[in-house]
Amino acid sequence: MERSFAREVEMLRRGDGEYFEGEGILAITKALLQSGVSYVGGYQGAPVSHLMDVLTSDSKGLMSELGVHAEVCANEAAACAMLAASVNYPIRGAVTWKSTVGTNVASDALSNIASVGVKGGALIILGEDYGEGSSIIQERSHAFAMKCSVWLMDPRVDHPRIVELVEKAFELSEVSNSPVMMEFRIRACHVTGRFATKDNRKPRYSMNDPIPMPDNSLDRIALPPATYMQERMKVEKRFPAAIDFIRENRLNEIFEGDCDDVGIICQGGLYNSVIRGLQQLGLADPFGASRIPIYCMNVTYPMVPDEVVAFCAGKHSVAVVEEGFPDYLEQALNATLRKADLNTTVVGKGVFPKAGEYQSEVMIRGLAGFIEGSAPKRIDLAAIAAVIESIDSNKALAADLLGSPVPPRPPGFCTGCPERPVFSALKLAQQDPEIGKMHISADIGCHTFAALPPFNLGNTVTGYGLGLASSAGVKDSMKGHTISIMGDGGFWHNGLSTGITGAVFNKHDNLLIVMANGYSSATGQQQLPSSTAGGARPPDTVIPIESALKGVGVKWIRKQYTYQVGKMRTLIKEALTSPEKGLKVIIAEAECQIAKQRREKPVVAKALRSGKRVVRTRFGVDEDTCTGDHSCIRLSGCPSLSVKPNPDPLRKDPVARVLNSCVGCGLCGEVSDAAVLCPSFFKADIVQNPSVVDTLLHRIRTAVIGLFQGRGEKAPAEESGMPGSVPAGVGVAAE
Amino acid sequence: MTALPERPISMVVGALGGEGGGVLTAWIVRAAEICGYPIQSTSIPGVAQRTGATTYYIEIYPAKHGELDGRRPVMALYPAPGNMDIVVTSELMEAGRMLERGMVTPDRTTLVSSTHRVYSILEKSAMSDELFRADSLRNAAEKLAKRVVMFDMAKLAEERGTVLNAIVLGVIAGSGELPIPVENFETAIREAGVAVESNLRGFEAGLAFMKGELRAPAEEQERRSHPAKPSAENLLAEVASTFPADVQMIVAEGVKRLTDYQNAGYARLYLDRLAAVVAADRERGGEAEDWTLTRETARYLALMMAYEDIIRVADLKSRRSRMERVRRDVTAGSSEPVHVTEFLKPGFEEFTSVMPPWLGRPIMAWARTNDWARDFHFAMRVRTDTVFGFLRLWALAKMRFYRPKTFRYAEEQQVIEGWLDTVCKAAGRHYRLAVEIAELANLRKGYSDTHRRGVANFERVMREIAKPAARAEREPVWAAHAVASARTAALADPEGEALDKAMAELAEAPALAAE
Repeated sequence: MERSFAREVEMLRRGDGEYFEGEGILAITKALLQSGVSYVGGYQGAPVSHLMDVLTSDSKGLMSELGVHAEVCANEAAACAMLAASVNYPIRGAVTWKSTVGTNVASDALSNIASVGVKGGALIILGEDYGEGSSIIQERSHAFAMKCSVWLMDPRVDHPRIVELVEKAFELSEVSNSPVMMEFRIRACHVTGRFATKDNRKPRYSMNDPIPMPDNSLDRIALPPATYMQERMKVEKRFPAAIDFIRENRLNEIFEGDCDDVGIICQGGLYNSVIRGLQQLGLADPFGASRIPIYCMNVTYPMVPDEVVAFCAGKHSVAVVEEGFPDYLEQALNATLRKADLNTTVVGKGVFPKAGEYQSEVMIRGLAGFIEGSAPKRIDLAAIAAVIESIDSNKALAADLLGSPVPPRPPGFCTGCPERPVFSALKLAQQDPEIGKMHISADIGCHTFAALPPFNLGNTVTGYGLGLASSAGVKDSMKGHTISIMGDGGFWHNGLSTGITGAVFNKHDNLLIVMANGYSSATGQQQLPSSTAGGARPPDTVIPIESALKGVGVKWIRKQYTYQVGKMRTLIKEALTSPEKGLKVIIAEAECQIAKQRREKPVVAKALRSGKRVVRTRFGVDEDTCTGDHSCIRLSGCPSLSVKPNPDPLRKDPVARVLNSCVGCGLCGEVSDAAVLCPSFFKADIVQNPSVVDTLLHRIRTAVIGLFQGRGEKAPAEESGMPGSVPAGVGVAAE
Repeated sequence: MTALPERPISMVVGALGGEGGGVLTAWIVRAAEICGYPIQSTSIPGVAQRTGATTYYIEIYPAKHGELDGRRPVMALYPAPGNMDIVVTSELMEAGRMLERGMVTPDRTTLVSSTHRVYSILEKSAMSDELFRADSLRNAAEKLAKRVVMFDMAKLAEERGTVLNAIVLGVIAGSGELPIPVENFETAIREAGVAVESNLRGFEAGLAFMKGELRAPAEEQERRSHPAKPSAENLLAEVASTFPADVQMIVAEGVKRLTDYQNAGYARLYLDRLAAVVAADRERGGEAEDWTLTRETARYLALMMAYEDIIRVADLKSRRSRMERVRRDVTAGSSEPVHVTEFLKPGFEEFTSVMPPWLGRPIMAWARTNDWARDFHFAMRVRTDTVFGFLRLWALAKMRFYRPKTFRYAEEQQVIEGWLDTVCKAAGRHYRLAVEIAELANLRKGYSDTHRRGVANFERVMREIAKPAARAEREPVWAAHAVASARTAALADPEGEALDKAMAELAEAPALAAE
């Protein structure tokens, strides 16, 4: 796991009269415990990973005291299926994943549970990965709520209110017999804040207090004719019950203001941004008192018709501040007002953008557009225009002073990443005329970065674990080779069943490379069924990928250590040119460098302190033989392999340079070897705490070599004047 | 009750993944919590987790919880243009990004940025120089911010054996822009309990800088002139007396390079070759053009004459100064032995390059058409810190005296003469055309495949555009543009796709204007 949660676990134990201080997602976790959940499940993914991480690692003790069962599910479908426990029994549970990709995977289970309904409160925490920094397709979770008739909450970002709403969500679920989804945007999950804690609630039924008898009722099975009854229940009972509960418990909030001829209706999650925008326009104070009335929808589905009608009555215009497309809220509001025969003008995607995240600047421009268009009483429009004008002029001045746009900074593989060498090998393999350019069906994971510069390897990405399945239609229609990539995360998520068994069954004859770095790395190094965690995990609990492949009938399986670029290239060629028919799988193995460093750094630091001999390896580039063509960088892309302005007055192009962050993974040497690149690279093994033999040998060698180098060629003046050598071990002590 | 602050203090941190922006944010949050101020922070790690740009956003409401009558400030989740009090960036280009986004305004923003560069992959992987030019950035920062604190914090961190974010924290604490006592930040570092000692060292350094007790580390000198060998001194004197002042620096570097590469005689040849270029430049009014033709020809002539053969590589790698540089580069302590392994992989090109022409030429002619020979390379890993390994390179370097008799030497001189002749002829027709042809020599770089491709591209542009233009078979203004765009295209991608496209577009040369 990427981090320790010891401090957070202590927070989770706090009770009446104490405060929690920390991240939003952990506040939500605490709220689950205060609500008396019996079980928690989920699948990791930004931004909700921490919920699962904290419950399944450092807080195991707390979980067993409370009797809460927490598990990391195989995928989101498995997580959602866990909610089945609340179908028959009055027990509360929560599951979590990243939306909308995770909700897509969970949909089968979600539809079924939504149809049969729940007795116990069932809550789905959605990490809404939308907008800046998102790694997935841009869609709304709202559509899932609508089609399944489950309720969608989008709480305003304020720790005490979020915690309160989580508790209310369970009640809402029980009152309306329907699962409830709660979406939190990335920033809301990572937001820090505090709230007054309550004692954790022991669940009525749990592993400590088991349910005495199984419940058996045909009404709880999604088979006709029960399904027809369940559909009617949704419309006739559950929907109205939900609306009544939302209204009676004031889950949505109205904030009054003096300019009440207009109003703003916003998703709860955008409330803070609306307030800040209004504040910048001079229309709100730091505590949220706004001159324009606001209706904050902490529940975005279903809409409560009488509440919105009451809010809009007497207003000539209202703005709907709703992120993403389609404009479900705007449409629903228009329909509701039409039915109530109200003439209030609804302004939404007319002044706000139809697509994209509503960041601060988008928000302030949209609000200004609404205010200028609707001209509320007692608001000075000139002052509003002046604020926008000053933002514009400042940006224009900046653009002018900078002269040219600042280049983007795409993400890439980490220093020492074990997946990068595989793409170096693939790039080299493609240079072989017998292989040529390939169609690469890529997958989700750190390895997706290969589609970006400098590799530009990857033609399609269709979903998690779908790398192999997505090659089925194209492979026979390509003149060249088609290969697929899958990570070990995707392999276990669903790649084994969806891709590999399908390919074996259908007698596919192509190559799959499984990137086995031992973790679900991009989400924070969670363990997988095949993780060995550097030997930390009991071997009998590990399910090797190779065994799984053999089990489903794959004949051609090769394991290859990723850093051996030349061998990997040869193996790829062997797979693609082999006369043997059938699916070929290369398991590209090497541990995630981040995880490895985290484990090894303290050990090395300790050895260094105790005076033990430690060899530190890193690479370097001779700046005077580097000609500045950067082909090494195009084949490596390592963050530690960088450039610097050429110190040679004759040369113009920057020279390559290895930064101190180099971990000595060896790729530089392998690439210059396999690609026959350039003699500028060297490997340096620095012997720290050298033994007497080391020192003696070093002295003799230096002396003899010195004789040949002669005295004439001393260190030239140009190279003195640099700061003296930095004490070794800086890299170790730094983090 | 005293009046409460009108708004929270807003602060954004623009960092790069894995740089510790999260840790910095956590320290600041903790320091404000100790004061009892309402505080909120949030972040976007997302996919930008490791190498892309990441942002952290902090709001502090500078009044204690107890003074608020139970009210809670509503804090924002996004930095807003025109609304920032403190903007921190851990790298120079990211500072540019903040300026561009309008986050820095003269009425309230303090900009704190390190001035070092972490190059993006797009800048690094370009085949030539596409580094972001930050020259205008400091001026922009001065004009757009209320207060600017910019220096090379990465270098200071390296010198002090600490990390950049700790220095940034010291700078923020020392700036007085946050109403938080200095000791709270120290407490935050101690409470976090990770690498406390080195983090405090960094914090103190940042603080000392703000108090004026510490000077920023000096900017690294970009260009380093090389020392001259005694045998070059006469030639250098000649350069000083016969060449235009504007180009003396470059020509002198060329002389020094070639004396070092071969001997004073070879540098003499360099000056003789340049004489024709200077004459042509003078004739075409080169003074008004800053002697660009002479400067660029002098630059590339020196680089072409000092081509990188295995003798040169062995020579450079077996020098005393090189071993010292390696030790410095890898930050080895003075008592720590360093084992250096070189990755050499000579093929037929390298072997024939040291053969006499009568032997090298036919072998190379065969090797160029033979698939096996083209891919044949002899992988060697040489430990140059050992006596035996060192002697292998040392002996190879000693072949320098024999170099003028080699096949590669003969080949290179032929190319140089042809190129130089084209440059001089072109100068007679059009100044810019001659300069562009001179700069074409930049395509001949790299080793092995990269070198082979570069040379092929160079020869193609020479053959199809430059030489015909110099022979007055092409319209010169068009040709100057054509050579320039072909060169840019050749450096656009290693596969040569852009060059193919550019050459196809340039195939239809306009008719010669009647002169």
